[in-house]
Amino acid sequence: MPSDLAFFDCNVTIGSPMAGLIRPCETAQDLLQEMDWCGVGRALVHHVLMREQSPTVGNAMLSAAIADCPRLVGSWALLPPQTGELPSGPAFLEAMHYHGIGALWLFPDEHRYLANRTTFGSWFDELGERRIPLLISRAASLRAHPSSMWQSIYTLLADYPQLTLVIMSHGCWGEDRYFRPLLETYPNVYLDISRYEAEGGLAALVQCYGPQRLLYGSAFPDTPMGGARLMLSRTPIDADARQMIASGNLERLLHEAVLI
Amino acid sequence: MTRPCGAAQQSTLLADYIELGHCPTCRVIDLHGHYGPWPGIYLPNANEQAMLMTMDRCGIETLVSSGHTALADMRLGNPEMAAVARRHLGRWYAYLVCNPRYPVELGAQLATYDDERAYVGLKLHPTMHDYPLDGPDYAPVYAFAAERRAMVLTHTWGHNALCGPARLRAVAERYPEITFIAGHAFHGEFEAGIEVALSCPNVMLELTAAYSVRGAVELLVAGAGADRVLFGCDLPWFDPHYALGCVLFAHIDEQAQRAILRENALKLLETQLIRKGQHRHD
Repeated sequence: MPSDLAFFDCNVTIGSPMAGLIRPCETAQDLLQEMDWCGVGRALVHHVLMREQSPTVGNAMLSAAIADCPRLVGSWALLPPQTGELPSGPAFLEAMHYHGIGALWLFPDEHRYLANRTTFGSWFDELGERRIPLLISRAASLRAHPSSMWQSIYTLLADYPQLTLVIMSHGCWGEDRYFRPLLETYPNVYLDISRYEAEGGLAALVQCYGPQRLLYGSAFPDTPMGGARLMLSRTPIDADARQMIASGNLERLLHEAVLI
Repeated sequence: MTRPCGAAQQSTLLADYIELGHCPTCRVIDLHGHYGPWPGIYLPNANEQAMLMTMDRCGIETLVSSGHTALADMRLGNPEMAAVARRHLGRWYAYLVCNPRYPVELGAQLATYDDERAYVGLKLHPTMHDYPLDGPDYAPVYAFAAERRAMVLTHTWGHNALCGPARLRAVAERYPEITFIAGHAFHGEFEAGIEVALSCPNVMLELTAAYSVRGAVELLVAGAGADRVLFGCDLPWFDPHYALGCVLFAHIDEQAQRAILRENALKLLETQLIRKGQHRHD
């Protein structure tokens, strides 16, 4: 039954965005209240300061904010290793493990780098071998034409075809023509469905590619938590597929990641 | 980890939607639909039968659409859209698309309105047609609509030079006989849209895409009143359950949900049908 689904939201943010929101979600407690309102059990969280300030500030903010919230799993943001602002290699992985961090965000436009082999070298080979999920948002560059962000994702995957990469918040227009070639080419590419609003799109994707590559997310608080939740609850797919998308696939990804 | 859903304990509509996919006591009326393929998007369910199946699945009783082909070419698309809707009157109605860039053809299209039972309103898209909502080439459309006290759905968007709040306010004040539906509720400039609705009683705010901004539904209901807000989801663009989820999980009461999803649109639609000498289930 749809009411028995367990939801694990892969795409939520806490903090106060610079440009404001009608209803921001400033704290972990605010987030947990909305999760209870929507019947969502767990969430993979990042802090707005990881994107709008340096990850050297935002990562620590995130860890402090969710330290006492077992329903929330943290994610951090990465920077290129050359500038030495964040550690890379074993020290970074140990810190992730210590703080219970499950995934890593890339914000190439905001943090002004190119996400490719020239920048990340063997560091991303290691993250790929360890199956640590990397998260990249198409929405971050919504002001640009979507093809520019998709081009950078294509480049990243061409350089690192084994990377576990979750494409977050792709546009509400249904961008199948951009992402279907990636699903067919790279086995470890996943999609967050938070803004995949295309009517019939989710069922069609499951029919073509199976449910294993799709993750429930909400893009909360930019977007209400309930939209993708009701869509997934009622999309005409079988119960096992629905549960995999609602939480099973994300749980598997986090479980498969090898930090230390 | 399964969690109880607080919102579903507050709304029988939401509880029904979670369990059934529709609500037997609140059949939805969607006044902002389309039909057919679209260049920039893969739309899996854009044909006639697929759209009807989606409406069934999602508890949408009635849909009013403008054809995608009509937005590109009135001559081809308006008759196509009308023919589709005519096969399902009571379930499906059509807007006559009006493109001011082709004034001669526009006149010919308007001349088909009265005799076509599928048409219940006019559709304007100032950004696609690259023409301001209050520009002079729309004047024949407004005169036509005012004479019939017709319903006009127009695309609106916040901070948009062609269809922002000031443009709609200008025509809504000039033509009080017309009921204007502000498609997308001036997305991104909701407060200004509320001001237009409050000062112009002939303006309704429609939720397509606006629902996906967290807090927008609550803001529009608190500012303009639930009786001024309409549901729409650009079908076959957006999954109705996504749109409905945004409304049903919003922090508004069940009475407001019923007004938005059905009651307000029902009044508008039935008024238009009566003015055309028709009934919904003829």
